[in-house]
Amino acid sequence: MSEEQHWSATGLLEQISENALDDDYYIVRASEPRPSRISGLVVGVLLTSFALFVTTAAVQTRNDRPATELEQRTLAADIKERQKLLDERRATAAGLSAEVQSLRRSGEADGGQPADLGVLAASESVHGPGIVIAAQSSRNGLEAGRITDRDLQVLVNGLWYAGAEAVAVNENRVGALTSIRTAGDAITVNFRSISAPYTIVALGDSDSLRTRLAQNPAGAYWEDRRKRSGVQYAVTPSSDVTLPAAPKERLALKHAANLEVSR
Amino acid sequence: MIPVIGLVVGLGLGLWLQPTVPVWLQPYLPIAVVAALDAVVGALRALGEKRFNDRVFVISFISNVIIASAMVFLGDQLGVGSQLSTGVIVVLGIRIFANAAAIRRRIFHA
Repeated sequence: MSEEQHWSATGLLEQISENALDDDYYIVRASEPRPSRISGLVVGVLLTSFALFVTTAAVQTRNDRPATELEQRTLAADIKERQKLLDERRATAAGLSAEVQSLRRSGEADGGQPADLGVLAASESVHGPGIVIAAQSSRNGLEAGRITDRDLQVLVNGLWYAGAEAVAVNENRVGALTSIRTAGDAITVNFRSISAPYTIVALGDSDSLRTRLAQNPAGAYWEDRRKRSGVQYAVTPSSDVTLPAAPKERLALKHAANLEVSR
Repeated sequence: MIPVIGLVVGLGLGLWLQPTVPVWLQPYLPIAVVAALDAVVGALRALGEKRFNDRVFVISFISNVIIASAMVFLGDQLGVGSQLSTGVIVVLGIRIFANAAAIRRRIFHA
């Protein structure tokens, strides 16, 4: 092949296809002797290895295919699942944000004022879901096992803290002016003596009241009292509890006057 | 005769033994096969043109395989392994087609 021919090929691809056959076949030919037996053998060996290469590559690719396919299928399934999850989460998020908006709107409508002042001030009897706590002094008669006014104070405080909307101790509604204290042998609530067994009723979401009471210090205190001193203490959720209003004398104000706040 | 026997024996060995290619060799095997195929088709064409020469075939076969593998290796090191493989396949493919066309022309005169 002459130099001129070499350069006449303008494109790379053209050049490649023009020189498809190795130049060596053209160059070497003249001076080479006829093929010997050994070189024929070498050709045979090469072709053997060529066939071996091809089969091996084909077999390998074939064997690898199931694994690759399985991987692909697993990945595809994974992606689908994640997408479904994402869709679900999106739907949940949309639902929640709608709920937030409606709640905000209703909150604005309420103007931040409590719905029922009477309920809040304990001047009206109320009913709703809640929990009932039964408490009784220890049966062993020891001083440590006696329920004191302090115990009840802690419990009522803990119930407020746990989110109770109304609390009553032995049918005595705890209002703004209620006191719980010991007078002689008995405990008084709203200046009325009460005696064991004590039943404390709290209005609010039963489940959250129960868990939050159990988690806060008051619940822990009572649990500790139960374990150490044998005080009986049991919390029961109830779907409907009724709490009476606080007595009238504990609602009447004699001295306090409304301070008009300019808004 | 020897070449045909060699092909059959190689095929049989591959199917019978089903050798597992070591992982480090796996990227090079397909390219090496295509390079070898180029040498084989070139040899067939030379055979048809009565130009076949054992030495040229042996050297072109081995050098094709080595160079193709080396290019893939180099491409892998440079981070252009797949592109370089594609390039090698394209060039070898064109050569194979051109040689096959030459063989076809010789056989069918078309």
